Amino acid sequence: MLNLLHIEYKKLIPYSTFWMIFGLFFFFTPIVFYGAGQIKIEGFPIDFTTMYNFPNIWNNITYIASWFNLLMGMLIVILVCNEFSFKTCRQHIIDGHSKADFIVSKILLMTSFALICTVYLFITGSLFGFISGGNGSFTAQINYLLVYFIQALGYMSVGLIIAVLIRSSALSIIMFLFSILAETIIRTLVPDFIGQYFPMKIISNLTPVPTPEGMITEQMRNTIMQEEMWLNTTLLIAIIYILAFWRVAYFILTKKDIK
Amino acid sequence: MNTILNINGISKSYGKVKALNNLSLKINKGEIYGILGPNGSGKTTTLGIILNVLNSDSGSFEWYGEPPSKYSRKKIGSLLETPNFYPYLSARQNLSIVCKIKEVSEKEVDRVLSTVGLINRANSKFETYSLGMKQRLAIASVLMGDPEVLVLDEPTNGLDPLGISEIRTIILDLATEGKTIIMASHILDEVEKTCSHVAVLKMGNLLTFGPIQTVLNNQEQLFVSSDNLDLLKLTLSQIDGISGINQVSNKVYLMLAEGKTSAYLNKALFDKGIIVSEIGVHKSNLESNFLELIK
Ligand SMILES: Nc1ncnc2c1ncn2[C@@H]1O[C@H](COP(=O)(O)OP(=O)(O)OP(=O)(O)O)[C@@H](O)[C@H]1O
Ligand SMILES: [Mg+2]
Repeated sequence: MLNLLHIEYKKLIPYSTFWMIFGLFFFFTPIVFYGAGQIKIEGFPIDFTTMYNFPNIWNNITYIASWFNLLMGMLIVILVCNEFSFKTCRQHIIDGHSKADFIVSKILLMTSFALICTVYLFITGSLFGFISGGNGSFTAQINYLLVYFIQALGYMSVGLIIAVLIRSSALSIIMFLFSILAETIIRTLVPDFIGQYFPMKIISNLTPVPTPEGMITEQMRNTIMQEEMWLNTTLLIAIIYILAFWRVAYFILTKKDIK
Repeated sequence: MNTILNINGISKSYGKVKALNNLSLKINKGEIYGILGPNGSGKTTTLGIILNVLNSDSGSFEWYGEPPSKYSRKKIGSLLETPNFYPYLSARQNLSIVCKIKEVSEKEVDRVLSTVGLINRANSKFETYSLGMKQRLAIASVLMGDPEVLVLDEPTNGLDPLGISEIRTIILDLATEGKTIIMASHILDEVEKTCSHVAVLKMGNLLTFGPIQTVLNNQEQLFVSSDNLDLLKLTLSQIDGISGINQVSNKVYLMLAEGKTSAYLNKALFDKGIIVSEIGVHKSNLESNFLELIK
């Protein structure tokens, strides 16, 4: 297993696109997060800098970082499609990998990406939190990091399945973005109690839109409690979707010729 | 265990195109097996199936008497159709990945790069290589880990004459070490010069197979010319060990029995009072046999 991951990083380290996308993530997440705290709305007495306080910061920073998860999904699309356009997937199998090895390699790669992003958010969040000097609990909502991790894995897994199915980079990226749009459209056509279980909806719900501290009223506390319980269910469903995506990606790979 | 590869009735279609029709073949240890056929006859399809990148519609195959697995493929050096590498990685980085997949020592990288004459360019990116250099790198990758079995699809594709003869030497050297080589080619000359056995494919059908001598009756065809062609033909028919006499324009073509040379022919004609104005080897009969086969 570690051997497979080692091979993946041998391909990645010299690959500039990989550095560019991670560079964008590393650079812009704290900047956007900082920027969001500086928002001031005329005649609206809310101090957005409270978003840097523990424990809310974990919900806030993962929400901001989740915008970049599409980027991570696209990175996976590019990396997997490269294996088909360079015909290196074909060559690896000829040389002695199995098709399962190919999928496992990509799963390990995605997991390592999600882990890197999560650790980065943990560090950035801690820094913001300590500097802002609030005295809330550090750990109370730290589970948002786990949820974010699963979300990142979710978007990348959608990328994997589309790339394995379509194999051409340009078309796959279009399909990746289109599948999100298409799902939104289809969701408007089906009743909400079905629509809420659609994969993209489930995955995007993992990082719920935070409510600014000053806006929370007593009656809202109740719905927030409910939302947090719903989050656990969402997490479970998301994990099931992700496992299913991996299985289907493997199935597609075994059924199609590898050119 | 003498059988390296056993193919049992594999077929494959692409839509209406029947790329392979019920192909069965057995390849033994130490054989240099040529798979010969014109463009589109199913050579690459065959190799793609036995290397598990193409799915056959029916039939089965075994490596070393076992169902195919990644472990058997690790012990086979393969080049299928094109050199496949990461364009942005150097030759050395690319081969180092192959090392990890095949689970062989990193020391192999420099050894194989030297064998194919790329050691001076080992750190150049693959995308900066010329066509022939890419092909050489693919050969280098095949040699990784000194495998007992090699599968080569058009190994001399894109190489200059020197490159072709170098690769041929490499293959013949491997053959003397007792390795088994399966080689697809549409170039008769290449098969003739390197292979011990041959299977001839045409439109997905196996036309014939066996030791190369038996299949393609490897005999040279000569031609002679002189002032009086009729007298020449008459005289030729009276000389021992000559067959297939056939006149085309001002030349008479013929075949000599085993062990007889053009010097023998020349002397025999001279003894019967015929002065030869021209004598030479026309073309190997192999080629006409091959063309006859795939007609
Ligand atoms: N991906 C594909 N889709 C459709 N048809 C294909 C595909 N690959 C091969 N074929 C068809 O299968 C037949 C056999 O092709 P194959 O590549 O095995 O030939 P080949 O003997 O290797 O030829 P060449 O000497 O040109 O390399 C051809 O008719 C070809 O058109
Ligand atoms: Mg071919």
